[in-house]
Amino acid sequence: MTIAAEARPADAVASAPAPFFAARDVHAYYGESYIVQGVDFEVREKEIVALLGRNGAGKTSTLRTIARAAQPSLKSGEIWLGGMPLHRMSTHEAARAGVQLVPEDRRIIPGLTVEQNLIVAQVAERPGWPLAQIYEHFPRLAERRRQDAITMSGGEQQMLAVARALARDLKLLLLDEPYEGLAPTIVREIESILQEVKRIGITTIIVEQNAIAALQLADRAVILDMGTVAYQGPAQEVLDNADLRHQYLAI
Amino acid sequence: MTINSIFLMVLTGLQLGAIYALIALGLTLIFGTLGVVNFAHGALYLIAAYCAVFAAQSLGFGLAIVLVPIILFIFGIAMERGLIRFFYQRPHTDQILVTFGIAIVVEEVLKWMFGANNIPFALPSWGAGQVLFYGLGANVPAAIPGIRVPMPFLEGFAFFPAWRLLLIIVTAVTIFALFALLQFTRFGLVLRAGMRDPEMLRFLGVNVTIRFSILFGIGAMIAGIAGVFGGPVTQVSPTVGMALLVPSFLVVVIGGMGSMLGALVAALLLGMASSFTTGFAAAVGDPTAKMALTALQQIVVYLVAVVVLLIRPRGLFGKKGIFE
Repeated sequence: MTIAAEARPADAVASAPAPFFAARDVHAYYGESYIVQGVDFEVREKEIVALLGRNGAGKTSTLRTIARAAQPSLKSGEIWLGGMPLHRMSTHEAARAGVQLVPEDRRIIPGLTVEQNLIVAQVAERPGWPLAQIYEHFPRLAERRRQDAITMSGGEQQMLAVARALARDLKLLLLDEPYEGLAPTIVREIESILQEVKRIGITTIIVEQNAIAALQLADRAVILDMGTVAYQGPAQEVLDNADLRHQYLAI
Repeated sequence: MTINSIFLMVLTGLQLGAIYALIALGLTLIFGTLGVVNFAHGALYLIAAYCAVFAAQSLGFGLAIVLVPIILFIFGIAMERGLIRFFYQRPHTDQILVTFGIAIVVEEVLKWMFGANNIPFALPSWGAGQVLFYGLGANVPAAIPGIRVPMPFLEGFAFFPAWRLLLIIVTAVTIFALFALLQFTRFGLVLRAGMRDPEMLRFLGVNVTIRFSILFGIGAMIAGIAGVFGGPVTQVSPTVGMALLVPSFLVVVIGGMGSMLGALVAALLLGMASSFTTGFAAAVGDPTAKMALTALQQIVVYLVAVVVLLIRPRGLFGKKGIFE
């Protein structure tokens, strides 16, 4: 019985190349409320996927489920990353397996300096970029390394949140509303950082209210509606198809 | 009121404050990180004191000082893993009920095993004497044994029990070690970060749970240190845990829930308030004033709490939104 269950992913490899990341019929609940209702999609290695949908479509919940947060709680379904079963892991185990969530509101830890926020990311097994490399890419953070991180501007905090994810040996980057609450000039700055993340080839799922900005960055789009996948296809197609955008994104 | 008696009152205040501080630090450490109000913390002190009595009798005091904190560290982790962790997501009232329950069970078990009375806890020979403090030009008879410490402002000389002085020193060292652990080590950095945002730390791959469990163990270990060194001073009886928990909890509230610096300042404040009222009660000649001060002595700790909380409802260093 166990042998059969464990042989299954190997069989999948034999028949077709296993996707780098796959969410298979994922169902998750916030307490009693049924939020993620059978989400099913794949992401190829080095691909950037924009996860879109209206407010309440279940975007953030899907990201949190993939990162194996305690809430929403995963009730059924499978989540695979590079052959590893994320669905069987706790939050910190999923992070060690290479999932890095840059959450909504950035969640910079107050009372800690910029550098301490980065050090905390490197405590657990498999740290990523060393501090020197991070500072080389983010000179602004280097300037402010001794500053209480929470006193920085929103854009700088977002920069730190992305840098903190790069401080870990990550396989999958989950970005939740990276442009939220930022002035247009700052948005462009973060955009160029994310372009660089794309150039480095980090597999990414991005959730963003500013769908156009996300689609311009992404290779593919996955649109959620009522907790399930309503559409998936090339990002360019969503940019070109006004009906589709209007129907699911109200833009 | 002489300078000598004020000096002794300060030392007594420090010594009273030291025991409060050790217990309150453990309480506030556990509250600040795990969000649990641990009413069993007095019971941990109790277990430590009883363990210390028997360890000192059978293995010697030196070994008891080493062993008891280790035993309490292990006991603390077992308690957290076995019971407390199931209450993290539950309301504070549930946590208070379960930890209060543990306290009652421990108290009753000790009563059943060793009786309801004090059990004697003899000081080791090396800690039994008095320390002599002497002022400028004091004529100290050469026959007086023990340690002598110059204290230029004293008139003549004054004695203070060596063990109580040791208790103050041990407390200072413990507090310093705890602050150093939290401020200057990577373990401390992770703990401080974990107190602020445990979920984010988990997203960064940190096993916060195991660190918090160790921290609970450290809180229990501090109660262990308090039990070994404080036991001979507070006496060892089943009721002493609860008797210490109440003022220690007041210390936490006066200091501000979750603030370690607040707990320290409040512990000193209560220690001094107690010591000075007792000192003044002994010193005044007028019988009515003496009676009033003696009565005040019983309630001064609560009086300080009332005044502080009227002026600062969140305590001295309390922050908004904690336990509200």
